[in-house]
Amino acid sequence: MKIVKPDTQENTLLIGFPSNGLVGTFSISYLIHHLKMKQIGEIEVPDLTPTLFVEGGEILAPIRVYNKNNIFIIISDVPFNQYLAEGFALAVLEFCKKNAIKKIMMVSGMETINQQKEAPKIYGLVTHSTLDNILYNNQIPKFLDGSIFGTDAAIMSVFRKTTIPALVLYAECHPFFPDPEASVVAIVTLAKILDIEVDTNDIQNRIEKLRIQHRRLMEETLRAIQQEQGKETRVPQIYK
Amino acid sequence: MEDSYLRFRITPPIIGSLFDDIEHKTLSPLSCLREFDNHWRVEFDLPMVGKKDIKVSFDGNYVNVEAKLKQKYSEEKLGTITKFEYFKKSISLPEKIDSKKATAKFQKGRLEIKIPKRTAGNLIKIN
Repeated sequence: MKIVKPDTQENTLLIGFPSNGLVGTFSISYLIHHLKMKQIGEIEVPDLTPTLFVEGGEILAPIRVYNKNNIFIIISDVPFNQYLAEGFALAVLEFCKKNAIKKIMMVSGMETINQQKEAPKIYGLVTHSTLDNILYNNQIPKFLDGSIFGTDAAIMSVFRKTTIPALVLYAECHPFFPDPEASVVAIVTLAKILDIEVDTNDIQNRIEKLRIQHRRLMEETLRAIQQEQGKETRVPQIYK
Repeated sequence: MEDSYLRFRITPPIIGSLFDDIEHKTLSPLSCLREFDNHWRVEFDLPMVGKKDIKVSFDGNYVNVEAKLKQKYSEEKLGTITKFEYFKKSISLPEKIDSKKATAKFQKGRLEIKIPKRTAGNLIKIN
């Protein structure tokens, strides 16, 4: 892992990974692009199948670290099953300790019962009450009842036992199809929390194309999610 | 609420369902099938498609969906650019469905087909 340490204090880490509706993937990758963040390192997760992506002849690791000022981002292009999610969460914790991260934030998706709503809603869940004010100040309702599983649950489980608080934003989305529309709401919310300006026109103009482009990642993500859910009693769908 | 989201049947996923047909310039859409008390619901993700360009048909226990894209979608694979023009997919449905009473709606680029279950059987008298 190669890390360049920034000068600023109060470092915040954002984490993006494929999950329901690929909301985290779209939101975090858009922020990296929009804020023109620089890649400063890679994260290795034990037992992850060796994978490299090639873009324009450049080799990219599947889990990369970006930085600009006091904002760090870890983004994974690969979905995690239950076992890999735990390894990923521990790797994130190690990164936080080495880089004086003061809080972490994730974006994920949750299934909405009423899919005809005009604008998806966002809910927040925090590990430490010290982050409650972020929800309150940004008028984000708390995720009050239900269960979470998968990578976000693995990260929350690890960080709730540490002194580094974690916050996860859940955007209502279609859980089985890529949902860039829900991601736009997540991006706007994140920008408000981080007090940065983000123009979402670019992603809004490409919503339909993004849905086609990310079909395979969505399919791989569902496979990973269903591997996790298969051990529980509430697996909700047949996916074909 | 129309559907009870707590009543699903647990079934493992079927893997490898996306097969784009380069020769016929056809994309395979994402889809999902869910069971409810008295009906099945199958959804297809059809972005870049208009409602009037979608054809849905039943063939026995298969539901077939074909849709023309509003504009060609280009994708490069191994140096070859393919311009896709259609979505096309057939899905095998469970038995005992009443496809004649199926209904469909298309919103936000998602096609939702509701297929009632065929109910048959004898009532048993309780003594």
